[in-house]
Amino acid sequence: MRFDIGILAQYWPILLQGAWLTVRICLTAFVVGYALGILVALLSLVPSRIVQALVAVYLAVLRAIPFIIILFLVYYGLPFAGVRFPAVVTGTVALSLFASAYYAEIGRAAIVALPRGQFESARVVGMSPLQAMRHIVFPQILRGLVPPSVNMTLTMVKESSVLSSITVAELTYQSLVVQGNTFAPFEAFAAVTLIYWAIAILVARAAALFEARTGVAERQDVERSALAASFLSLDRRPAR
Amino acid sequence: MSFQVATLMSVLPALIEAALVNLRLAAIVVVLAVLGGTGLTVLRAMKIGVVNGLIGVMISFIRGTPLLIQIFIFYYVAPAFGLDLRPEVAGVAALSLNSAIFITEIMRAGLQSIPPGQVEAASALALSRRAIWLAVVLPQLFRRILPVLVNEVTIIVKGTALLSVITVVDVLRTAQQIASASYRPFETLVGAALCFLAINLAVMAAGRLLERRMADARA
Repeated sequence: MRFDIGILAQYWPILLQGAWLTVRICLTAFVVGYALGILVALLSLVPSRIVQALVAVYLAVLRAIPFIIILFLVYYGLPFAGVRFPAVVTGTVALSLFASAYYAEIGRAAIVALPRGQFESARVVGMSPLQAMRHIVFPQILRGLVPPSVNMTLTMVKESSVLSSITVAELTYQSLVVQGNTFAPFEAFAAVTLIYWAIAILVARAAALFEARTGVAERQDVERSALAASFLSLDRRPAR
Repeated sequence: MSFQVATLMSVLPALIEAALVNLRLAAIVVVLAVLGGTGLTVLRAMKIGVVNGLIGVMISFIRGTPLLIQIFIFYYVAPAFGLDLRPEVAGVAALSLNSAIFITEIMRAGLQSIPPGQVEAASALALSRRAIWLAVVLPQLFRRILPVLVNEVTIIVKGTALLSVITVVDVLRTAQQIASASYRPFETLVGAALCFLAINLAVMAAGRLLERRMADARA
């Protein structure tokens, strides 16, 4: 088994094109999906049985069905309803819908976790409504929001690979093209794997930076005896 | 065009039969992933520098790359190393490895929540390392991570749909075959979606039942 670097020297432009399309699709789906998710999260707080039941069905359906099936349903369902979009648009719509369900759950959890009376207390100690939101309410919601959102965004980037099956020329699709042209699966998938891995690491780093900057990072060090740590900690060195 | 309920009804029996393939593969993956995840967790707790380093890289790799690509690697790349796997075997291997890694990460979080006093007390009673794992740590750990584990099972069930891409004849592939013969892709896909909805709602209900049982057993 040898690794033919020449293949990558020849095909890197289309792999890079695929990566760039993956990034663009994911950015769009992040913005649209997050907006939709927050809307659904707010709807779930409306005290109406019908609204809550609808939200529950929306979440259950989108979360219990594989993304590849959601994608195909949108792909074949839109023409059914008389609407025709290019595959890229269809794929982005499906990815946004998929992500919105998870962002909705995350948003709802973060809002519900906020202790009651935070806003009122801040007002009582003399803060303006804006100050109360900015210094008390918003940071707390953000603290609950950021870590799971980062996770979900990474999941979304990975799921976007499935768009290759409706001929969207994103990164995974291009890897299959390279593979088909060269009969060199090892080189093709190795390159693509590294690109996805790099994207994932970049997103995680960016999120960590954001958390550090906004001060929402929460470090918890659990103190343990060396003995307990040898069982309950998986880090290389026992804590203390 | 309008939605034809009759079409949906006529394809449902074939789809339900194909769903048994997904169910069977998912069951195998769940068993392998839980065993593998537990094994990796115990291995990590031994704190062998090189081993933990390797597991760390593997975790980063599995978490950072799409499941679909991992499936392709097992299906297309493994033969280049002399491992010619049947589509089902390659798919189950990829899903199991992926899920085992996510389960060790779930277990890491679970371990944080077990009171250190439990281990210290067990050690004071002179229990062996093995006994501490099997009788004290693991049973509590599984109880704590049960909800997240149930969620992971639904992810595995959904993951089996991706195996259609490497020619495993599951619900989705069956749906595509029927659709290309009947020219009614939408109804057929709705049927496939209903199969997954039914399986995963059942998994979630079973998880809730199990949680309640465990809560009762502790009380």
